[in-house]
Amino acid sequence: MTDLNPTLDQPTEPISSDEAVEPAEPAEAAAESGAEGPAERRSTRLARLEREGDIAADYLEGLLDIADLDGDIDMDIEGDRAAVSIVGGDLGQLVGREGAVLEALQELTRLAVHRETGERSRLMLDVDGYRAARRAQLSALGREAAERVLGSGEPLALEPMNPFERKVVHDAIAAAGCVSESEGEEPNRYVVVRPA
Amino acid sequence: MLEDALEHLVQGIVDHPGDVHVRRRSFGRGPVLEVRVHPDDLGKVIGRGGRTARALRTVIGALNSGRGVRVDFIDVDEAR
Repeated sequence: MTDLNPTLDQPTEPISSDEAVEPAEPAEAAAESGAEGPAERRSTRLARLEREGDIAADYLEGLLDIADLDGDIDMDIEGDRAAVSIVGGDLGQLVGREGAVLEALQELTRLAVHRETGERSRLMLDVDGYRAARRAQLSALGREAAERVLGSGEPLALEPMNPFERKVVHDAIAAAGCVSESEGEEPNRYVVVRPA
Repeated sequence: MLEDALEHLVQGIVDHPGDVHVRRRSFGRGPVLEVRVHPDDLGKVIGRGGRTARALRTVIGALNSGRGVRVDFIDVDEAR
């Protein structure tokens, strides 16, 4: 990670969940840098996400130390989000049943980032590749559901899922040529697939 | 260890980390962790609909080998 320390003065829109629409790109950096606008805007955005990763890493490393857990922190940027991963090998307790502990830890980590930056974070946390594996599984599930709906012409309701899971499933369904939406209330919100 | 972990997790998300104190009290059925925070931070550690408090309990429970831990939040004004 670089040691850039950008000024964090861009407005962000509140994001209520991972399903929310992407926030608009802040325009201020471009306005300040004239002709180099888009490049400057991009580097400012990357620096902001790198800083999010650094703050998250400090927070999580502190926890690993106290809990005497062996794990390394990997940081990356995926699209418009900081992606932080704890890699160790014996970290199942930080994932929990159906990823409940991972979700809780991600939530706290986002709050820790928000405390430092004053901006809402959409950072993604993973532990030992759990989320990556889950994503592959959910993509397959979404694809299969879309194929069933295309075959039957009937809507299909899936099991309740958390926002991350629904987002992955929505994307897979759209790619397979169906439409979908979420219904019900958290924590029992679920995806309904319909023919396009 | 649980107290230190909880103190670290809370200190990282509040505006007054110096005012965070965690005390462990043992009752018959397992530990109770009592978290004291600055009055201005109480809403922050509880979160919308109790969301943040729930996340803290989930992580601390996981660190306690999955056995639930009671975590109480109070602000320093309430503390004796």
